[in-house]
Parts: sequence; structure tokens; C-alpha cells
Amino acid sequence: MIPPANFEPKIVGFLCNWCSYAGADKAGAAQLSYPPNIRIVRVMCSGRVDPQFVLEAYRGGADGVLILACHAGDCHYQEGNYRATQRHRMLVELLGQFGIAEARCRFDYVSAGEGEKFVQVVTETVEAVRALGPLIWPAAPTLPAPLAPLTRPAAHAPAGD
Amino acid sequence: MRTGVYLCSCGTNISERIDFHRLTEELLERAGVAYVKPAGFLCAEDGKQFLETDLGEERPERVVIAACSPREYERAFMEVLERAGMNPYFLQMANIREQVAWVTPDVEQATGKACAQIRGAAARVRLHEPLFKTELEAVRDVVVIGAGPAGLKCALALAEAGRKVVLVEKSPVLGGLPVRFEDLFPSMECGPCMLEPVLGEVLHGPHSANIEILTMAEVCGIKGYYGNFQVTVRRTPRFVDTEQCIGCGECIPPCPVAVPNEFNCGLDTRRAIALPFPGALPNAPFLDAQACLRSQAEECTLCRDACPVEGVVRYDERARTVERPAGAIVVAAGFGLYDCRGIPELGYGTVPGVRTSLEFERMLASNGPTGGKLQRPDGAAPASVAIVHCVGSLDQRHRPYCSGICCDYAFKFNHLIEKKLPGTKVHHFYKELVMPGKEEFALYEHARRNPHAAFVRYAAGGLRVSGSEGGAVVEYEDSGGRRGSVTADLVVLCPAVTGAEDGGGLSRILGAPRDRFGFFEELHGRMDSAQSRIKGIYLAGACQAPMDIQRAVSQGMSAAGYILSGLADGRKLEIEPITASVDEARCSGCRTCGSVCPYQAIGYAPEGRRASVNSLLCHGCGTCAAACPSGAIRGNHFTNEQILAEIEAVLA
Repeated sequence: MIPPANFEPKIVGFLCNWCSYAGADKAGAAQLSYPPNIRIVRVMCSGRVDPQFVLEAYRGGADGVLILACHAGDCHYQEGNYRATQRHRMLVELLGQFGIAEARCRFDYVSAGEGEKFVQVVTETVEAVRALGPLIWPAAPTLPAPLAPLTRPAAHAPAGD
Repeated sequence: MRTGVYLCSCGTNISERIDFHRLTEELLERAGVAYVKPAGFLCAEDGKQFLETDLGEERPERVVIAACSPREYERAFMEVLERAGMNPYFLQMANIREQVAWVTPDVEQATGKACAQIRGAAARVRLHEPLFKTELEAVRDVVVIGAGPAGLKCALALAEAGRKVVLVEKSPVLGGLPVRFEDLFPSMECGPCMLEPVLGEVLHGPHSANIEILTMAEVCGIKGYYGNFQVTVRRTPRFVDTEQCIGCGECIPPCPVAVPNEFNCGLDTRRAIALPFPGALPNAPFLDAQACLRSQAEECTLCRDACPVEGVVRYDERARTVERPAGAIVVAAGFGLYDCRGIPELGYGTVPGVRTSLEFERMLASNGPTGGKLQRPDGAAPASVAIVHCVGSLDQRHRPYCSGICCDYAFKFNHLIEKKLPGTKVHHFYKELVMPGKEEFALYEHARRNPHAAFVRYAAGGLRVSGSEGGAVVEYEDSGGRRGSVTADLVVLCPAVTGAEDGGGLSRILGAPRDRFGFFEELHGRMDSAQSRIKGIYLAGACQAPMDIQRAVSQGMSAAGYILSGLADGRKLEIEPITASVDEARCSGCRTCGSVCPYQAIGYAPEGRRASVNSLLCHGCGTCAAACPSGAIRGNHFTNEQILAEIEAVLA
């Protein structure tokens, strides 16, 4: 799909308080400009980012989501960022099944000192999502008629749930 | 709900990039707020005064301050709310300076983004709940585990501050490993001399009454948490009353038993009743129950008969456990050395004359097994010594790290060998040379100037020690690929420093985790290396990482500092309200939350099959809240409802 010419993607960024949010502040203190498309939601730790938040963001109209965390080994809470990466990996798999491109859900590491990296990650994400166009939820698929139940050999007890 | 918004212009920092007039209109129209007011510098004294007065007049139920980063002044504004009679958590800041005005040159775009961020804040703050700090009475006493330099200095500092300290030492002697070293790098001070003043203070100083010393004792259980631990200590009987013993040693010679002396690494023997070594403190022997003939049902009383003081040797003493309350626990359990038998090509245990550095330290010590004489296995003086640095260090198959102290003591060995047996050939085999510090280079320079010293840089796996008639043979491949060999009468292996030998057991008892190398894991590698991951449990010395005495002692003092400021006199323990809590009705007891909590703050009650959060241990990261499949965990001040409302509103 070719995105509309005036399309401005909406990005929700979940930033951990100790590294990434401070990194965004650092970009501000250095007066580095970046696209205004990002809406920042502060959480204490990237480990707080429930996959539900990401899905709600898409439902609320976001075209992309950014989850930013402390670098490996730097998490203020030891390992919340590892949990966040694990959840992100699973979430991307799931989103793929809904036809939502991986580029719409980016995970990255931004430390408190990395104002420039923050700007770079936001800019790249906005551009990637701009290229993908607005997130349009796929219409409910028309399901094929259910198949006739398979007859199992008697020896095979049906598996439980 | 009446929500008030304050827009800080920050001089012109914010207002010149954001159209306050339009912003105000938009917010009043679309954000459901009661009023929007601009202000100059809200963080300045008159700004805060204006805010306080205005809150008193407007009486909002919730407040949004759109200004700089909450990381700057959120605390200050929370205090203003409190002064105005509001709960301080009824505030939400919108960061329209660092994250909008300063990064968005276009005024229209900046105004739009600011509006979205403030809408998010307003939507969220409506759902804020009043939160309160809670206070808890705390025990101020401390249990210190390990009486090496780190534990001793820590215990002494706390005792001097008036705290009761229980010093738990598993061996019969105080001073840790350095007390067994004749000389210490970098200044060649004698180990017992260095510790003597500290030990003197701990045993007999003006504050020694505050220190209860439990030797031959181990922590075997803890209950409770920061501020209110109950520590169980198991005491092995010493059979000698240290209070009454005069330390004359009359009891020792009559003992008919000889067993390997572990205090000299088994290089000589001791009696069943023994002093670990001459000069050991407390100055009282201990009776090794396993070695004693009485354990074989023999009615031997020779040591008691020889004792000039009635009732000092007590055969009827039994193992017992004692309980001590403590507000905090310091782990100063020391370190171990990498087991050289794990590197068979270096010949430890198979080639005569191959010693570990610890064994060599005892050989150098005047109170050691040879009285300080350097000896080959046959008792003759060695003509050559090979010192192998980096044993098991800098090697992915063993330990990848550098222990940072081995080069220092290896060059100390060089110095002592040259002093004791001038002209002895010394070969240093090393992978890397590491001796940071302002004094540590001196011994290295000394070794470099020693005409009898040779240096070979070897590659990992490039050394083999074998036995021969004339002593050990060290075959090497150097870092340039050249091969060679030297004979040596003694080979001294400098193994990697490892975690405390019984660290695993202690870690399980305390619930304080160890890292992948077996060292106790610090809260933060740079900022909080003297704190464990568990609140109220502190770390001191080489049980946390390989380190020299200077660092170990500093860490002991640092642990004392944390305790004195965290459990300050005349103040209760404050618990921050931003923690997690469990909705018992929704909890299914799956324990997912407990598995993701880095602080072991989540307990589980098997009878009710419910999780519960100990708010004293919780750091408020919210990882459990995100992990809970039943939505039963609330992250206070970052609840699902609050965050979801914010997401919806910033996108509206």
C-alpha cells in the first residue's frame, strides 16, 4: 500500500525512567530536534511494559510503538530489560500473525547518556512506519466452513485440552 | 473530578516554542480539565509560593504540571502539594521542555505534541490514588558474617557508632586470610601487624563491649527482612572457654593426636587441641572434636589435666544454636582459590614441589610449617622457583576474569625469595601483567631489576608442568609461539580468586543471590557494590568480587555507612509507596510474579495459594505486574488503568 502523501504516523514510546527517559531528556538538553510524532509514556522499568499496553496503543490509533530500555547489564532493577526483550520477541511473533509488521513495534536500548541515539531511534522508527503507512487493522477474516470432524482410531484417546 | 493544569513558561524556554494561548484553549476544550494557568518559573521560590497559594484557592482534586522533566522537580512539586494539604501523589507532570519545546523547532508541531502529552497526564492523574509512606520500627543491631579485614573494620565502625554487632566467624581465629600472611603487598607490612590494631580494638577497645564475637560459628537460618531479621547461628563447641583461658598453651603438647593442620594448608600437623598458629586471636586453643580421642570413646583427659586454670577445658560443651535480632546483615565471607586440580597439566597434586600461592604464603610465614624457610619437598633449599601467574584466570575454560591481586603478590614472592635465598632463580610465567595502584608498581620494578628473575609471557594452555629427577620441569609456549622449558625446585601456582567456599550454602540461607562466577551479586557494579540485591543485606570484601585488602576494607566501611544512614538512630524505616500489591481475589497462585522479581520481594503462602508482596523489599519496578497472567498485581502509581488511560489520551 502506498501511504498517503500527508501521512504523519503516531508513535507511542514506552521509556524506562532511569535510562531511556533520561536519554530523551538528554536529547532535549542538547536541543537535538527530532520528528514530533512520538508520544512518550514513562514507566519505571521497561519490564513494566505489559504487551497489553502495546496492543492498546495500536487500538487507540498508534501506527507504531517503541519500547526503550537500559542496555544489557545496566537495568536499574537488574533484569527488567531482559524481561522486556523476551516479551517483545514474543509480541512481535504474535503481531506478525495479525499482519502487523515488525517495524511497527521496535525495541531498543537507550542509556541516560545517549541523547543522540534516542533521536536516531525515534527518527528511524517514524520513517519506517511512515513508509509502511497507517496501521489498518485487517478485516475479520471469512472463516472457511468447519471441516467434518476426523474419525480417530479407537486406540487414540482424544487428547485433553 | 476537578483537575488543574499549570503551564510553566520556564522563562521563555518553553513559551517561545509552544503557543500557550492555543494550548490552553485546546486543553479546556478537549482534556476535561477545570482550569489552565500559565506561570513563570514554577520551580523558583515565588513560583512554588504561587502554586501553593493557588492550590489553596482553586482546590483542585488533581494537578498536572506541564514543565520540565519530572526527573528535575517532581519531588519539589510534590512537597508543594503536601504543603497545600493535598496528597503528593495527586500530581502528574508533563515533560514539555526536554521532550517537546527543546526538540521541536516548529511551534505548531510543538504545541500539538505538548497538548497530547498534557492530555495523557490529565487522563492519568484522574486515576491517581492517595499514597502514603509507611514507617516501621527497625532493629539497629547488625550481624556481620566473617571476621577478615572487611568484616572486622565494618564491625568496629558500627560498634564505635554505638551499634551492637554480632561477629560470626566460622573458623576459631579472627583476621581472615591476611592474618596468615607474613608480608603484604605493596609495602611489605606484616599481615598480623596490620591487623593487630583492629583486632585489639575489636577484642579489648573501648567499644568492644558492643561486639559479640562468635567463633566456630555459622549462620544457619534467617527470618524476616530489612530492619527486622532474626538470625540463627550454629556454634560448634570449642571446648575451651575463651573468656577464662590465659593462652599459655600448656594443654597442647600432651595431646597424643596428630592431624593435618588446615591452617598451614596441610603442610604440617597439629594436635587435636591446638592454636591455629602462634599469635592467633582470640588467644585460646580449640579442641577438634573429630580428631580428639574422646570421639573414639577413649577417656583421654590429658589436655584438661595440663591446664593450669580450673574449668577452662570443658568436655561437656555441646553444639548449640543462638538467635540474634538484627536490622541488617553484612556478608564478609571472604573468597576461595580456583582448584588447581582442575588444570591437571600444571601438576598440582601429582608433581612434587608444585604449590598453590596460599601454601607458599604459609611457607614464607615465620609462624608457618617451615618457620619461614623455603624448602623443596626433600627439605633442601630451592635453587629455582617458577611462579605461574594467571592460573585458571583469563581463560574461558576456567575463569574468564583477571583476579587483579595475583601479580602483586607474585612480585612480593619474588622480593621475599631474593631476600631469603639470594641468587635463587625466579621464573615468572604470566598471561598479562596487571598491577594498578599508586604503590603497586614498586614490587614489579624490583622484580624487573632482580638479575635472577626471568619473565615469560605464555599463551592460554601453553604451560605444562611435569616431574623429573632434578625437580619440576615447566615446558612453555610463549605468546610469540616459541617453545622452551625450565627446571624449577618449586612451582608456585597463583590461582584465580573465586567466591567464598561455602558461598552457595550461605547464599541460599540468606536469599542473596550469587553471580555466574559464584561471587555474591551486588546491587550495582559501580554505585552500590556493597549492597546485595536483597535490602538489608550488605556485601564486604572478596565475597563480592576479587579484590585486595584496601578495597575489601573500604567496602566493609561502606557497608557500615549504608547501615548507619539506612537504619539511622532516632528514625523509623520509611517505606516508599510506589510498590506492587496483590489482589488476593484474582491471584491464582501460579507464582509467575515470584519468578520474575529480582529482589525476592514476593512471597507465597501455600495454604491460601496466594502471592504477597513485601513492600519493604519491593523496589517498584512493576515487572511482576506486567508478568501476572491474571492481572492480580497492581504496580502502585503505575497501574494498568493509569497507563492505559494515558496511552488512550496521548493518541486522542
